[in-house]
Amino acid sequence: MLNSSRRLLAVSAVSTALCAGPALAEITPTLNINGTTGLIDMPSGDAQDDATFSFSTTLVGPITRSTLSFQITERLSASFRFQTLRDWDTLFPDDPSSDDQRNMDIRYQILKESQYVPAVTIGLVDFLGDGGFSSEYIAATKTFKEKVKVTAGLGWGRLGSYGSIGSLFGDRPPLENTEVGKPNSDQWFRGDFAPFAGVEYKINDRWTFKGEYSSDAYELEDETRGIIDRKSPLNFGFEYQRGPYARYGFYALHGSEIGLTFHLILNPKTRATGGVMGPAPSPVMSRPARSSDPEAFDTGWVTQPDAGPLLRTNLAKRLAVDGIVIENLAYTASTVQIRVRNTRIDAGSQAIGRTARALSQVMPASVEVFEIVPVSRGIGASKVTIRRSDLEQLEFAADNSSLLRERVELSDAGPVPENAIGSEGLYPRFGWSLRPSLTMNEPLRGAVRLRLSASYDIRPGLVLSGSISTRILGNGEKLTGSSTGALPPVRSDGKAYTENGNPAVENLTLAWFARPAADIYSRVSFGYLERMHAGISGEVLWKPVESKLALGAELNYTKQRDTDGGFGFDEYDYDVVTGHVSAYYEFGGGFVGQLDVGRYLAGDVGATVSLDRIFANGWSVGAFATVTDVSAEDFGPGSFDKGVRFTIPLNWAIGTEGQRTFGTTLRPASGDGGARLNVDGRLYDVIREFHSGALDSEWGRVWR
Amino acid sequence: MGAGVAVTRAARFATGFLALSLVTACGSYGGVDTPPVFRVAGEVAKEAVGAVKSRRGGGGAATPAAPPSREELEKAGNPVLRVVIPARGSDAFLTISDDKGDVVTWTTKDGTTFSLRNGVLTQTRGLGPDLMSSEVPSVATLLRNGATYQRLYFFLGPDDRMGRRTYDCTVTVVGKDTIEIFARNHAITRVTEDCTRPQGSKITNDYWIEGQTVRQSSQWVSGPVGVAIFQRVVD
Repeated sequence: MLNSSRRLLAVSAVSTALCAGPALAEITPTLNINGTTGLIDMPSGDAQDDATFSFSTTLVGPITRSTLSFQITERLSASFRFQTLRDWDTLFPDDPSSDDQRNMDIRYQILKESQYVPAVTIGLVDFLGDGGFSSEYIAATKTFKEKVKVTAGLGWGRLGSYGSIGSLFGDRPPLENTEVGKPNSDQWFRGDFAPFAGVEYKINDRWTFKGEYSSDAYELEDETRGIIDRKSPLNFGFEYQRGPYARYGFYALHGSEIGLTFHLILNPKTRATGGVMGPAPSPVMSRPARSSDPEAFDTGWVTQPDAGPLLRTNLAKRLAVDGIVIENLAYTASTVQIRVRNTRIDAGSQAIGRTARALSQVMPASVEVFEIVPVSRGIGASKVTIRRSDLEQLEFAADNSSLLRERVELSDAGPVPENAIGSEGLYPRFGWSLRPSLTMNEPLRGAVRLRLSASYDIRPGLVLSGSISTRILGNGEKLTGSSTGALPPVRSDGKAYTENGNPAVENLTLAWFARPAADIYSRVSFGYLERMHAGISGEVLWKPVESKLALGAELNYTKQRDTDGGFGFDEYDYDVVTGHVSAYYEFGGGFVGQLDVGRYLAGDVGATVSLDRIFANGWSVGAFATVTDVSAEDFGPGSFDKGVRFTIPLNWAIGTEGQRTFGTTLRPASGDGGARLNVDGRLYDVIREFHSGALDSEWGRVWR
Repeated sequence: MGAGVAVTRAARFATGFLALSLVTACGSYGGVDTPPVFRVAGEVAKEAVGAVKSRRGGGGAATPAAPPSREELEKAGNPVLRVVIPARGSDAFLTISDDKGDVVTWTTKDGTTFSLRNGVLTQTRGLGPDLMSSEVPSVATLLRNGATYQRLYFFLGPDDRMGRRTYDCTVTVVGKDTIEIFARNHAITRVTEDCTRPQGSKITNDYWIEGQTVRQSSQWVSGPVGVAIFQRVVD
């Protein structure tokens, strides 16, 4: 009753009251039409709040820009932009009617604003592209009286194309074709540079006025292609903030165009519901003092033949409320080990806390040690040992989560105890689901497929699973890698795979997960591993529970599948052995780095570096880059494989419990080089949640 | 009204988000993973109804049905605690779900709990922005005019990390009075607890203490929830 209404949001309050404290009144840094922090078309010296994740879309006449931006740290941010320029054939009728561009930007705030010092940011725009949107800038922004922001800056490249005042570091060399997709460092800060400036005036909490003098001549769009008539360097407009998430912009641009912008501004560090929802846990049951009731501590119950099944049934009943399933139960007079599968709660620590509470209510008083082993894909991921008296003592202590963590032991899961009461009725287990899935190739472009999935767990760790899908909606499969012909089309026939396979068998595999020795995990997957390739894949991972470092190795042999989504291998006569050795490292603060070295699907040899920022609540945002021995020409546009990826837990947005997520990977260009097999259940992801890095970051939820 | 606006906004955001991710679903994993779209549709509908109700109420506070009488509350023979959260327009009668002597946990029908240490709020669960744990004064301290001490609050931040707030508090015993709770008079001592943080924020808790029992109180829960008003109606 109390929380049934008003459950969804009290967000505005969250940011002000809970986290920020009495923040200095200031103008929130705003985004420009390019989806990066700035004025209208120009950048500014500001930075967004740490971890801000924004999606922006802009329409200016024949130009559409959609941008994802992420504030990686307080000072560093990156953006991925997709631009479409329509009427591309206005002056060149033989050309296609539109041109697509993908840009990546990066910017760093070198100075934060203080009383006399402005915020100063240096940035690179489209630093990996074909140069069509490339520019570099340094911008300074100062706030006056919490109402006005003044920005001035210098731009190179596009941002130095109007009203230039000279050049500092020599001419800007043209971009060679082979350089497209690599950092265009030869051009950075070269050539003419020009000043730009602007002002932002906060009318009230909702409305903001912006005006700027732009140093971008729009040469490509105006002179070369004639799709925009740029008459003036002055741009004006208003922005309207609607709630914490949405911002709209309306602008008069270039003296000739109207611009419309929408920003969706999210932050993994603020939860839409202001806190995790779901009913309260059941209380910890206190045992009587041993001195006052010694009989309660009698150990005779251990020898009773029906004790095991009875305890198991009672525990199962209590844990079912939270979607926790018992895989195994083993006990002595003083210790219980329970192996549980968490099917609903999104935080491992909360699932562990709920299990401990249930144990306190069911286990006889003589049991002092609770060993909780979370099971993921049939593998014991770790063992959390909690003393029952600590649980009883700390339930209502101040800072009970830190105090409990100090007393809890985290270790390798160990083998299933000999005396474990198995899982009668749990195996074999069949499950299925039918749901739409969104595949997004780029902002606002993708397809919705309806996917039927089923799984059959033969015994713990041994799973037969498959899924079949068909397209039900889609606005064009524009994204196709461009096969240069130099490499086998291991990925670039994506369009054919999507168009021809309706319905298509996406995967059909038999997978075996195991923990062969302490700190070692293994996986073997066999069958139709992914939409484009089938075969066998084996993996081994070494990861001590409290180690920041993990090492893994993977070996696969695959054949390329037919595009029609059937079981055949006739279209391509291609098979390949691929494999990688991998190192994973938790840098702290949620940053997880990964290095993979090995052979990729096209037979190329190289390495992938990736860095993800993983938030305790399940959000993750990351980037990766792969360089292999494929030449830039053979790879095609983009020169090498790189991209950004993100995952958003649905419960973050909705507030209900659940583990489902939404996410995608975006690439500026895709080719056949540096492509990895897309196999389900890579071990690091399977076990990470229950190791110290992830568990500790969300440990506070153990008492939730 | 403010809450209403926030809620609509939220609901809209959630719907938008869902439209983006498209998650109608069914399946045997269903018991485990209820199709979120249905759930959200339900929530949104509920919110909408809530918003309409409170708008009709005019002043923004919820318009509860006629409050139950003392006879009705005493009928079950169980202790009853009334909890009102003005910021959420909620008003409920709670029963005891766990009694550990000095700490008693009270629950609503849908499983939101408030744990009070001798009448002083120490934990909540199920509100969203919950008070996860805290160090609170005893009733004896609250009855000592001019008493000063530190209060610690621990909150689970929106990013699931634990945050701590430390307040310096001072007790002011305002004086003796009589209050009426559901047609019963109580002779109480009125106490105010003022707490400040070095960072500048301030909270005030009020207590109406009958003997050693906190008969009524207005206590701060968390930033987003604001204060909760507790009335110990049936002992």
